Amino acid sequence: MTQPDDAETRWRALVQSETRGRFADTARTPAGLEVKALYTAQDLEGVAHLDSVPGEAPFVRGVRATMYATRPWTLRQYAGFSTPEETNAFFRRALKAGQRGLSVAFDLPTHRGYDSDDPRVKGDVGKAGVAVSSVEDMKLVFDGIPLAEVSVSMTMNGAVLPVLAAFIVTAEEQGVGLEQLSGTIQNDILKEFMVRNTFIYPPEPSMRIVADVMELVSQKLPRYNSISISGYHMQEAGASAELELGYTLADGLAYASAGVARGLDPDAVLGTLSFFFGVGLDFFGEIAKLRAARLLWAELVKERFAPKNPRSLSLRTHCQTSGVSLTAQDPLNNVVRTTLEALSAVLGGTQSLHTNAYDEALALPGERSARVARNTQLILQHETGIPKVVDPLAGSYYVERLTHDLAASARQLVLEVEAHGGMTRAIEQRIPQRRIAQAAAERQARIDRSEELVIGVNAFRVPDEPEPELLVVDTARVLEAQSARLARVRKNRDENRVQALLAALEAGARGSENLLTLSIEAMRARATVGEVSLALERAFGRHNEVSMATTGVFSKAYAGDAEWSAVVELLRRVSEREGRQPRILIAKLGQDGHDRGAKVVAAGLSDLGFDVELGPLFQSPEQAARHALESDVHFVGVSTQAGAHLVLVPELLDELRKLGAGGVRVVVGGIISAPDRAALEARGVSAVFGPGAPILEIARQLLELFEGVPEAGSA
Amino acid sequence: MSARHPLVAGVRAGDRRALSRAITLVESRRGDDSEQAAALLAELYPATGRALRVGVTGAPGVGKSTLLDALGMQAVAAGGRVGVLSIDPSSQLRGGSLLGDRVRMARLSSSDAAFIRASPSGGASGGLGPRTREALVLLEAAGFDPIFVESVGVGQGELAVTEVCDLVMVVQIGGAGDEVQGMKRGLLEHADLVVFNKADGPQAAATERAARELASLLEWMRPGQSRVELVSALEGRGIDGLYRALLEERARLTESGELRERRRAQRRSWLSQALEELVIARQSRDPELDRARRELERAVEEGELAPPLAARQLLEPDKASSTSGGA
Ligand SMILES: Nc1nc2c(ncn2[C@@H]2O[C@H](COP(=O)(O)OP(=O)(O)O)[C@@H](O)[C@H]2O)c(=O)[nH]1
Ligand SMILES: [Mg+2]
Repeated sequence: MTQPDDAETRWRALVQSETRGRFADTARTPAGLEVKALYTAQDLEGVAHLDSVPGEAPFVRGVRATMYATRPWTLRQYAGFSTPEETNAFFRRALKAGQRGLSVAFDLPTHRGYDSDDPRVKGDVGKAGVAVSSVEDMKLVFDGIPLAEVSVSMTMNGAVLPVLAAFIVTAEEQGVGLEQLSGTIQNDILKEFMVRNTFIYPPEPSMRIVADVMELVSQKLPRYNSISISGYHMQEAGASAELELGYTLADGLAYASAGVARGLDPDAVLGTLSFFFGVGLDFFGEIAKLRAARLLWAELVKERFAPKNPRSLSLRTHCQTSGVSLTAQDPLNNVVRTTLEALSAVLGGTQSLHTNAYDEALALPGERSARVARNTQLILQHETGIPKVVDPLAGSYYVERLTHDLAASARQLVLEVEAHGGMTRAIEQRIPQRRIAQAAAERQARIDRSEELVIGVNAFRVPDEPEPELLVVDTARVLEAQSARLARVRKNRDENRVQALLAALEAGARGSENLLTLSIEAMRARATVGEVSLALERAFGRHNEVSMATTGVFSKAYAGDAEWSAVVELLRRVSEREGRQPRILIAKLGQDGHDRGAKVVAAGLSDLGFDVELGPLFQSPEQAARHALESDVHFVGVSTQAGAHLVLVPELLDELRKLGAGGVRVVVGGIISAPDRAALEARGVSAVFGPGAPILEIARQLLELFEGVPEAGSA
Repeated sequence: MSARHPLVAGVRAGDRRALSRAITLVESRRGDDSEQAAALLAELYPATGRALRVGVTGAPGVGKSTLLDALGMQAVAAGGRVGVLSIDPSSQLRGGSLLGDRVRMARLSSSDAAFIRASPSGGASGGLGPRTREALVLLEAAGFDPIFVESVGVGQGELAVTEVCDLVMVVQIGGAGDEVQGMKRGLLEHADLVVFNKADGPQAAATERAARELASLLEWMRPGQSRVELVSALEGRGIDGLYRALLEERARLTESGELRERRRAQRRSWLSQALEELVIARQSRDPELDRARRELERAVEEGELAPPLAARQLLEPDKASSTSGGA
């Protein structure tokens, strides 16, 4: 079939003369894809989807025939600013500035089902999103915003019942009919168990809650998506494109099955599912990933559910540019990164898009950075001409081949999950968690070793760069306002009625009534998010997941590396002097469940020769101090992503002192602004590491904290 | 008699910090620490030997740590002060480990009546750390009783959990279908109690079946000697029964004199091990002997000299020369 002088053969001859044979014709992309240096017509052999057109199954070329030529993607920025009032003001401004849909970020206590005034969460209130503890808070968030017209997506998983209920009651009290509500609730609990850890109940009751939400939404809120199946957080946790794709679609199948098992019509179930992918800097890989997602989903759904409506085969998705691709160093570079990622998402055919603000590696976005982020999309829509042509990369040898290959390898992952008895079981056996943690550690090792360059981080660094202006959350003020409003809510309600409805909810949880229906009644009577969550917890229990990390990745990646050996040698001298390995407790304090960083650091340090104790998620400073004491560690390393460190770390220092363990050094790593860093150091923190700090650098600084370690050669 | 070691009073008073430091001291590889550790043990040892010490072993992931959380809380409720030593198998060759057992013991790790310490196994194949015995003495001196030792192995050879505990609980899971046949012989020989965990969810029936099969097999092999318990550590089912079984088993072993016998044997083997260590330490401290050893090492490495003979030449040069002539 192929002639002796086909394109690839001719090219190889030219390569030979150009490079004298010194040329690797395959490479690995940042998302972990194996690619060739050249693709030709030959690579399209065996690619079956080439003839499909946009708007037609398997939808690889887009879910609508005209795509952006008639209607651009929805500009949907995720935001939540501490208090309901500030969030509302931000939303109103954003709508005026061209945003089409709203997306609400909640703070961690809300995610975990705690009211703002719960003593367990005082460091986390208003951090990373808006605090919503009752219908009154939700009404403030949407004050003056017509819910019949604006579509609202809410990132909520653990406390999905009280929060969605509060939203529904807010709409009712605005006089909006439920059939008019449009938007999405994330409600994707499986990936919480896999990577993000903002779950509340064990997997089984959690899946029931998902199905209850799907059921009620499909009956009463026809324009609303009951679930947003998210790969985004897998990518953020370090998953490769293939892992993100495979596990996200496997999650989707699990939810569809759960809905169908409820006796719901497959078409109705499939129609309420939507997806959410992360888009990183692997430019073509990400485009292919989105196209492959539609292709594979159409195939899988057809095989498993045989829906009647052809539209049920289509995968509709939201995308967000990658948070982990942002750097704290030289942050304006993030504008460029985000632009490229946004372009990938658009060329991949997304239905809506969030573009990150350039300062998000440091803190929540400020007003100016949020505007630049929004404008990135507006420029793509209005100044580039890109939306005028549907699926412009179709037919590209490279993109089509990659689309095909990604779909094929993701299918293998889906089959593997099914062979383990489905996603819930696979998660219980930690199969996806282990794969993702491994991929994350491998990626970090490549960056640490400068095999992948990150501009401003491991190459072309800027000396003494100025600090950008940052938004500072005044936790004490937020907490005070929230507590006062909660007190009013509790005072003005019919207490007996609330208690009766909470009891009914608990009974319903033990039985089989629809829990969203019961939650709506309780929230309408002004029960709080914390109370509804507690009623469910009484029936279901609270789940305590455990962080696991994989060892061996770093020592393998660094085999024979001189710098690595030097740190190992330094460690040997320290341990000889100490009579044991240096020992560190890696702690996650507060309600922040992001543990990619903690796991990667734990894996790296243990490979170097540290004894690493991994603390549980959601540890209180008191528990961490006791853990440190009983394990007699040299260091506690606090990993923080959600900004509660200014409250929790000083508490940890105090607790350690109280226990007589003041000699334990505390170091902090994660998203920490310069003023916070100074404040922490002033309180006695020994070292502060930014996000993605290289393992060797962290290890060296820790080891140098040991005083009087003999110089090299004198041991 | 030498002055009291500064940590003695703290350990005896059950002070967490003193106990924690004391464990570090006995685990230390520094020569001067080992002298201090000996002094500390000398003072604390006489008052010990009465606490119940339970070994908990089984493959990684069967739920040992989760079970200890449940069982430990049961013991706390019964008025016990629970000590846990968990020996982590993840240790890497060069040193370095990732210790995650405590994470599964959420309740116990914030209970005032418990103390948990994880130690790397340091690559020892028996599954215990090199200083587990000493740490047990410290925990007991600090008033902890019962004390649980979590480890992965019960093998022969190196220090194993059977050598430091009064009784051994082997944790298993069911479901694969062939667990009974596949179960290691050594494991069964050492088990006073076999616990089938994860008797919950979809695998409950299979677990129960496996437990039943093993119970009848054991009854046939050793009538009335090992017990099989079915539990769900996660859901807390069967834990009170298991705790009762543990106490009954101890009573049975005490009555029959078996417990006393075990402890005598354990102390004898500790003595042998201590002697070995001391001889080796003494040899490496003596510069002359150390030099002689390094010279002999070369001949041993090349296969020119049999290692036992080299050892003799080193430590008993008089005898060695006469035997070597005869060989
Ligand atoms: N379903 C179920 N899972 C359990 C049970 N006990 C432990 N697990 C799970 O098994 C995994 C390993 O538990 P762990 O206690 O760390 O096991 P270890 O390695 O033997 O100490 C964890 O995910 C536990 O949640 C149980 O009784 N039932
Ligand atoms: Mg364990």
